[in-house]
Amino acid sequence: MRSLYIHVPFCPTICPYCDFHVVRRYGGVVEAYLKRLAEEAAALHQRFPGPLETLYFGGGTPSFLRGHELERLFAALPWRLSLGAEVTMEANPGTLNPERLTLLKHLGVNRLSIGVQSFQDTVLKTLGRAHGRKGAFQAVEMSLEAGFRTSIDLILGLPGQDFEADLREAAAIGVGHVSAYTLQIEPGTPFEIQGIRLDEDLEAAAFEMAEQILGEAGLERYEVSNFARPGEESRHNQVYWRGEFWGALGPAAVGHYPKDVEARGSRLEGHEVYSVRATNPPLPRWLAGEAPSLEVISPLEYAREALMLGLRLREGVDITLVEGRSGLELWARLKKTVRELEERGLIWTHQTHLGATRVGLPLLHRLILQFWEALRA
Amino acid sequence: MQERIRNFSIIAHVDHGKSTLADRILQMTKAVSEREMREQFLDSLELERERGITIKASAVRLFYEASDGQTYTFNLIDTPGHVDFGYEVSRALAAVEGVLLVVDASQGVEAQTIANFYLALEHEHTIIPVVNKIDLPSARPEEVALEIEEVLGLPAEEVVFASGKTGQGVEDILEAIVHRVPAPKGKPTDPTKALIFDSIYDAYQGVIPYVRVFEGSIRPGDRIRVWSNNKEFQVDRVGVFRPGSLEPTGGLGPGEVGWLTANIREIGDTQVGDTITLAPNPTDAAYPGFKPAKPVVFAGIYPTDTQDYNRLRDALEKLKLNDAALDFEPETSEALGFGFRCGFLGLLHAEIVQERLEREFDLDLIATAPSVIYRVMRSDGSIEEVHNPSMMPDPGTIEVMEEPYVRLTVYTPEEYVGPIMQLLQEKRGRMEQMNYLGGTGGSKRVELRYEVPFGEILYDFHDRLKSLSRGYASMDYEQAGYREGDLVKVTVLVNDEPVDALAFITHRDKAYSIARSMVDKLAEVIPRQQFAVPVQAAIGGKIIARATVKALRKDVLAKCYGGDVSRKKKLLEKQKEGKKRLKSIGKVDVPQEAFLAVLSAGRE
Repeated sequence: MRSLYIHVPFCPTICPYCDFHVVRRYGGVVEAYLKRLAEEAAALHQRFPGPLETLYFGGGTPSFLRGHELERLFAALPWRLSLGAEVTMEANPGTLNPERLTLLKHLGVNRLSIGVQSFQDTVLKTLGRAHGRKGAFQAVEMSLEAGFRTSIDLILGLPGQDFEADLREAAAIGVGHVSAYTLQIEPGTPFEIQGIRLDEDLEAAAFEMAEQILGEAGLERYEVSNFARPGEESRHNQVYWRGEFWGALGPAAVGHYPKDVEARGSRLEGHEVYSVRATNPPLPRWLAGEAPSLEVISPLEYAREALMLGLRLREGVDITLVEGRSGLELWARLKKTVRELEERGLIWTHQTHLGATRVGLPLLHRLILQFWEALRA
Repeated sequence: MQERIRNFSIIAHVDHGKSTLADRILQMTKAVSEREMREQFLDSLELERERGITIKASAVRLFYEASDGQTYTFNLIDTPGHVDFGYEVSRALAAVEGVLLVVDASQGVEAQTIANFYLALEHEHTIIPVVNKIDLPSARPEEVALEIEEVLGLPAEEVVFASGKTGQGVEDILEAIVHRVPAPKGKPTDPTKALIFDSIYDAYQGVIPYVRVFEGSIRPGDRIRVWSNNKEFQVDRVGVFRPGSLEPTGGLGPGEVGWLTANIREIGDTQVGDTITLAPNPTDAAYPGFKPAKPVVFAGIYPTDTQDYNRLRDALEKLKLNDAALDFEPETSEALGFGFRCGFLGLLHAEIVQERLEREFDLDLIATAPSVIYRVMRSDGSIEEVHNPSMMPDPGTIEVMEEPYVRLTVYTPEEYVGPIMQLLQEKRGRMEQMNYLGGTGGSKRVELRYEVPFGEILYDFHDRLKSLSRGYASMDYEQAGYREGDLVKVTVLVNDEPVDALAFITHRDKAYSIARSMVDKLAEVIPRQQFAVPVQAAIGGKIIARATVKALRKDVLAKCYGGDVSRKKKLLEKQKEGKKRLKSIGKVDVPQEAFLAVLSAGRE
């Protein structure tokens, strides 16, 4: 385990499309959070001493913490970082200023993922974001000038959005990484309750355009919704997509661990287990010290997930590697489906790897369902 | 005792308040306590309550203490009120001596009032006209009474005025039943003759026939014989109908209405309309005059999951038991697999059967569009009936093709005659008669008699008639035999493959417009696939309409990181479940709506 995710759930405002675990800060809560995090980190460090190759602070808005709180957050982590480790923090434009950037740099953060979403005031207003066009530009420019590897989030395909304009600005601003999402209307969010509907054709067109405009600027699509200059890919996120293990700290955080540690002497023993997914409880119960809930992942389940995640990458899934991990003969089971989809130009195979083609990528879910079906047989 | 039995039914045009009146009668005879009283007590089927119509006949025994100081036993047999269920009405009427003919005090005499009146007249029943809903502000009871006299020939002074809602006049109805409806005839000593007028199936007791005894008696332990098939059964229990329950009694004598159990396991053994007698001393003649129901509309019913075929067959057999009009035989479709071609009395009947199959038997079904029966005369002189459009023979071998017609009667206030005649012309109707009926009140009522192809009025005719007459026009029809027609079969191709279950037969002049709107509708309801899917309609080899289901462009969630894996996996699995409810035809997934697209095609 060489990767760690830390969830910082505090936000100044809550966006109407957000379904992450977020809370507004109130008296004493950050204090309690930092104390509990230190305990949890110490315990995890016992089992996984590192060193870490990737560290990711997500949220919420981690950059929304005050200076001294950020210092204590880092102090709570006993891990050593390996040389050239990637340390990413999610940030909102409104929370960045030169002083704050100096502090983050000092603490070891070397990559910022900025929630720009759009460069258009009207779109930002619809999204309920605290910043405007000007704030977005300022934040990105500051981050680049301060020497951070910088990524921006963009939302595409909103009704009324000029997404071509947004894409052109994103391509021109000089960042090495863009995460472009189509908005997902998640159950229970204000957007869902308002009955906002998205247009499938419009979204498809937005992604085709993103591939073209960002590609011209050297930002290649390396995952369904992520674009980067070569070498600028998010190493931390690739851990997820490649089906590796990572640790997790903080409320509602999810980690993926090798089975031997979690399963030893527990009720999991005796089952066929490849790995264990551990999900922390939400903030109040997490603060009270409640243990994570565990989900046992069997070798077959692991293979299903590895396909679901790995096919999102342009590099594809290393089927031979997953065969080794799961002990299942995947190539043999998938053979017929692979041949059929390959003939239709939806997937490609190359040596150990299987991937979706440009035609197949937008239809990924259909492909995954077909592979799952083949695995079952 | 027998002289104090009164068997009666209530007949009415749909919505004239029959069920409310029946409820009130139950309440006034103390058959049901105030507390138990719920609206439409006799309508016990879940569906009937929801739709507010009576689908099946239902019986109940009541006690009434009349003004002469005597207590009378009433057997009330409720009847359905919709055009489709004429057969159920005739069945119920065979079991009684008198009827209440209920007419709405504001609406007046309507098409079904007249049709039901003639049915009762055929049975030579005592008819008590009741003008109902007199509490309504729009009521015009005196005028309606005159209308009844004028149109039906029942003296206005015989009319009883009542309100099922307030209870006003219901006492008068009960007295009229006592004094006007004759006591049942029949001797207890004669050989037993009993009519099966309905039946239900109980998992423990088997088939429970509902019977009306005309002569003799039936007691537990008797050996009964079914007239038509000579099968014999040992009677286990007999009883009468009490509200909400079957109450066992010591026996059923002449004139009585009740039920029996005799460990009857085969559903086909005791058909509705058959006669039951006693094996040791059988009657010499069955009860006459029953009109067996003839299905006039046919549709295919298929299980969505092919594994459910046997469950569907069992369910249909059970339904047929208390729905004698339902007819079915196995059928195979290239597109839908193994299923049944089912015959129905009409579209509502078809809809109700499908809903009951899905609800009461928990089946997922695909139904094809209902079609009438066409008749084909081949060049070689043979005659064939086409129950399923996909089975229509090659046009080259057809000499003459015929379609069924109905004699349609429409009653309407005079001011809507113009638009209704226009509608009937559009439906290829031919006017036979137009009569002005009694001029009570402001507007005259007109009776229009038409002959019109049955297939034309099958789908949306009744709705359109109602809407263009603001609800005032009413209709009734009876089958009128076959006429030659310039008919064509339209084949529908999905992804270049003909889908037998989507084929339909129509008049040549209408084929183009129906085909056009049918393919458009299909392109709308068929979910997008990974490739563009052409949908075409053709007559013979000639394509007459074409539309395309656009290719699916996007089916991938934008975001998926480490914390989302579990949830995204569930989302995908749900998507897979959703696909199961579609029927795969070749490489295309087709939803149920697609098979009914022809119903809404080519119509406003």
